Amino acid sequence: MNGIYQEKLLAHARAPAGAGTIPPGTEDAEVFNSACGDEIRVKLTWTPEGALAGLTHETHGCAVCQAAASLAVPRLVGKTAAEIAGLAAAFYSRLGQSGFEEAWGDFQMFNGLEKYPARLACARLIWQAVERALAPKPGRP
Amino acid sequence: MNSQASGAVPEPSFEPATLRPHFAILNRELAWLDNAATTQRPEAVLKAMAQFYRRHNANPRRSVHRLGAEATTAYERARLAVAQFIGARSADEVVFTAGTTAALNLVAAGMARWEIGPGDEIWVSAAEHHSNWVPWQQVARAMNAALRVIPLLPDGRLDVAAFRKRLAARRTKWVAVTWVSNVLGAVNDVAEICAAAHAAGARVVVDGAQGVAHLPTNVAQMDCDFFAFSGHKMYGPFGIGVLWGRQEWLTQMEPLIFGGEMISRVDERSAQWAEVPARFEGGTPNAAGAVGLAAAIEWLRGLPAAAHAHVNQLAREAAEQLAALPGVQVWGPREGRVALVSFSVDRVHAHDVAQVLDDRGVAVRAGHLCAQPLLRRLGTPSVVRASFAPYNTRDEVARLVAGVRAAQELFT
Repeated sequence: MNGIYQEKLLAHARAPAGAGTIPPGTEDAEVFNSACGDEIRVKLTWTPEGALAGLTHETHGCAVCQAAASLAVPRLVGKTAAEIAGLAAAFYSRLGQSGFEEAWGDFQMFNGLEKYPARLACARLIWQAVERALAPKPGRP
Repeated sequence: MNSQASGAVPEPSFEPATLRPHFAILNRELAWLDNAATTQRPEAVLKAMAQFYRRHNANPRRSVHRLGAEATTAYERARLAVAQFIGARSADEVVFTAGTTAALNLVAAGMARWEIGPGDEIWVSAAEHHSNWVPWQQVARAMNAALRVIPLLPDGRLDVAAFRKRLAARRTKWVAVTWVSNVLGAVNDVAEICAAAHAAGARVVVDGAQGVAHLPTNVAQMDCDFFAFSGHKMYGPFGIGVLWGRQEWLTQMEPLIFGGEMISRVDERSAQWAEVPARFEGGTPNAAGAVGLAAAIEWLRGLPAAAHAHVNQLAREAAEQLAALPGVQVWGPREGRVALVSFSVDRVHAHDVAQVLDDRGVAVRAGHLCAQPLLRRLGTPSVVRASFAPYNTRDEVARLVAGVRAAQELFT
């Protein structure tokens, strides 16, 4: 093992699930990591029943940022907005506490990330992008 | 001005091992290559500050007792030391601030804002740190003025010729430029920019934060109007910095911090300001910080010229060795690089490079380096920066380069 760069994390970072190109102006949300300038833009699609059908992210960020986005996609697809909000809260409460239990699967690679406090923001960024996409926008019901 | 940075650099005769005992923190197993963010402090600075607190501590400039007098003397001696260090005509031209950012904000909001009107122009360079960019955006926004950008030459220095050409016959009032780029390590010909700006009737403020530790500083030779720098990037303490200004401008500048010690008389509905520079130093000053800064100046003055040549030689060697690695892009000038090298690694994010380096005990900076407009021009959201001081060694350069190779291997 090489610090935070376990093979699992590197594999996700090399080929992140849900990664894609989002034409400027068509994204549902855009977030920045003010510490490093990293950027994630997301596009969400929904089923008629109100479940997340697809999550595409265009991520300009480090390996932690990419891996976190990759892990979030399968976790969130199929969930309603309310369920996503609950999952985000659950994610935040575990991150930085070595709190990911077995049920979180590969998210356990973030247990221990608290040894690198500067990187916690990298792991949060995709979740912040999704939350922003779900937030009510001015002029939209 | 940049004689130490250009031309043929002789094989340095300087031995960094002689300096390392001055820095207790260097006993940690760490190559400190983040000196452009903040240098380490020599024992002389720490001792001077401890001595101030242990022997002379009092609120300066306002007490009759002996400690008050001693604290005032120490504070004003520090001001004189700064004046001599930067070639100011008098200590009254030296305003102590919290740092470069505070100093630049003081000029922008305390002086420029009052002189600039709708349709006027402010110029910043494409290489400015956010602290010399955002204050000018704010002035331009508030006063409905135009913010223009001095372009860069391919090697990263300011394109002074382009600036001069576009400056002519414009309503340019203020020019804000960096002396040494905190990303590129390029040294700008500030004297030439000042001459061009003055010919057009504009004033110039120079961000000297990355220059003062490495180049002989002389504000008279630069012929600038204001000059800002921080203590902590030149072996001094955090929380102390300097705004130097020409006396005639300082007397026209408005204070931004109102309160104790910056007034001469207060009535219920009005107040008169104290003399310059006290009127810009409202509240209890950072006297121990000033004392520490004076000690840092003394320490810096004790360095041989070979120490500065050594620093720039390390930066040059690091740049050459990194540029020789496949997939590594080194930013900034090939010649005349001062004290630092920024670079990008194909397929490896800057944060990841920095993390791998930290795992190997090498501390570098990664990110946008508070220069997002410049990085956008370079076409990269973040870079890695290694920056050097006289206590750094060739072995540390080797560890840097080996760490970058390790990061490449890990990610490709």
